[in-house]
Amino acid sequence: MKRVFENLKVAFKSLTSNKLRAFLTMLGIIIGVGSVVAVMSVGAGATASITQNLQSMGTNVITISPGRSEPRGEGGAMRRFGSENTEQIDQGELYLDDAKVLQAKATLLNEVAPVLYGRNSTISYMSWNGQVSVTGTTQDFLAVEGYKMAEGNFITESDVSNLSNVAVIGNTIAENYFGKIDPIGEVIKINGKNFVVVGLLQTVGTAGFGASPDSSIYVPITTAQNKLYGSDTVDNIVAKLKDENQLDASIEEVKSILRIQHRLLPGKNNNFSVSSPTQFLATATSVTQILSITLGSIAGISLLVGGIGIMNIMFVSVTERTREIGIRKSLGAKNRDILIQFLTESIILSLLGGLLGIGLAFLISFVLKSFSSLNSLITATPIILALSFSTAIGLIFGIFPAMRAARLSPIESLRYE
Amino acid sequence: MNEKVINIKNVSKIYKIDKFNVNALNGINLEISEGEFVAIMGPSGSGKSTLMNIIGCLDTPTKGNYTLDSQDVSKLNDNRLAEIRNKKVGFVFQTFNLLSRYNAIDNIELPLIYSKGRLPKPRREMIMDAIKAVGLKGREKHRPSQMSGGERQRVAIARALINSPAIILADEPTGNLDTRTGEEIMAILQELNIQGRTILLVTHELDIARHTNRILYLRDGIITSEEKIREPISAKDSLKNMPTLEERISKIEGNDDNEKSI
Repeated sequence: MKRVFENLKVAFKSLTSNKLRAFLTMLGIIIGVGSVVAVMSVGAGATASITQNLQSMGTNVITISPGRSEPRGEGGAMRRFGSENTEQIDQGELYLDDAKVLQAKATLLNEVAPVLYGRNSTISYMSWNGQVSVTGTTQDFLAVEGYKMAEGNFITESDVSNLSNVAVIGNTIAENYFGKIDPIGEVIKINGKNFVVVGLLQTVGTAGFGASPDSSIYVPITTAQNKLYGSDTVDNIVAKLKDENQLDASIEEVKSILRIQHRLLPGKNNNFSVSSPTQFLATATSVTQILSITLGSIAGISLLVGGIGIMNIMFVSVTERTREIGIRKSLGAKNRDILIQFLTESIILSLLGGLLGIGLAFLISFVLKSFSSLNSLITATPIILALSFSTAIGLIFGIFPAMRAARLSPIESLRYE
Repeated sequence: MNEKVINIKNVSKIYKIDKFNVNALNGINLEISEGEFVAIMGPSGSGKSTLMNIIGCLDTPTKGNYTLDSQDVSKLNDNRLAEIRNKKVGFVFQTFNLLSRYNAIDNIELPLIYSKGRLPKPRREMIMDAIKAVGLKGREKHRPSQMSGGERQRVAIARALINSPAIILADEPTGNLDTRTGEEIMAILQELNIQGRTILLVTHELDIARHTNRILYLRDGIITSEEKIREPISAKDSLKNMPTLEERISKIEGNDDNEKSI
């Protein structure tokens, strides 16, 4: 223990005697560690925000999409992304009846809601006009997505069966169009048709992908199909699982019910697909991981260059201090003592560089956070990784110069001018 | 005082340079008793340095036996030699060989850093004892660059003393110093010898060598002759007759004043 302390003292003494050189030598490691940790933190930040977004979509919700070569609708596109891409899917459509059958027969599902995703529609209230995403759905949608009402009611079963001209609006819409006026009971025009506002959603924030529910308007799906878009299909059917641990079984159940409903003979491909945010989460996480590993390794090259810089300086230092090595040996230093002395120096250089590099990474991450939308999350993993890596670099690149120093003959090094 | 600190029997050193054998030492026999003060003289190329390296355990002989402090050191490996150097040899070099980044205390402490086992006294005390022995009090925190040549050599002697070695090897210790400072260093060495230290001095100046009890003459790798000094020069005495530069200057200036007043 005393030996270790002695070594550290000696190493610090020689490093502080040439501070500028020590700093410049460390700079390679500082930049290397800084960029590796920063890149990995940005990667981790991206993963974290994707995870957060997907979890707000609900991990217990599955989405059934029609078999289409090109998914339609904003939300639909993203939700389709998560489906197993190994499965061959034929062209097909989903109808309101599919949702009804699922609701009636599926034992593993709670609420099932068909959705006609919002095409941008023109809405106007008094003299204000704007383009807004109008989504058609049923009374169960609220429960599936887990949204809450701030005021009034959501679409009811009778609204759906009666094709009522009622609308539920998101919080942002309320603020933008109604300001301080209570929107409940007000009449808005959607594509020129009158709708009565019956409910106001609580603020949701961002939820997954596609239009935020805060800036959406919800109408009964039958109304949307018949009065707004003239369509008899639906874009998606969303359903809530009874038990999120039974994801796979639930998906299988949905598939078998829909195959019967769609009269698909055995051997024919499904003409619909079932996906869950969990699947998408896995895909997205692996994408960001590959990205941060790739960028991290590029940054790692600068760490390697920094290590070579340390080796270079240590070789110079050994030559410069040949006489010192001779003196120390004449006073009883063994080869091992000299080896440890120089190794300690290079490890201190690289470790200190690593610590400063982590400081730099925090700085970069702070700057990124304040001046861009990039989210950066510094976790323990890259820090531990960077520190152990830089220590290893000090060890690996320090060992050759240190061995050269240790092997010097005391007689010749005492004579060295 | 019959205990032999150094016992060298028929020691040869042969260097191989480009397939040619160069005999640096040709069967040296040498005994040095405890408490002796011995000088080795010889022209360059006589094998002085080689002999010093072997005695200082920086090198091992090709042939022959070398016993230091009743331990055969002629066939030890590097690590064991380092231990012997640390415990039994104190080096004083012509060029001082102090570490420039270290102050006096740190330089003197160096051999203790490499010492195995418990120290007889607390480190601090040992260092202070050595500083006192060479008369360096008040300069402990100075670095070599802030010291005069004489002060540097005192630090080096203190460093050589610190582990109470069996022998102090002084290789031209006065070579880089002016006459008076050199005499001061010799006074310190003589004082240490009186206290019982065994000292081996290498020099090419006869005046310096005559401060010792015995002079060995080395030529072509063998000791050709030996001379006992019945009355060694006392450095202390000669210093009394050797006014400092300042004293001389003030004396001359005093004369000037006298001349002016006339």
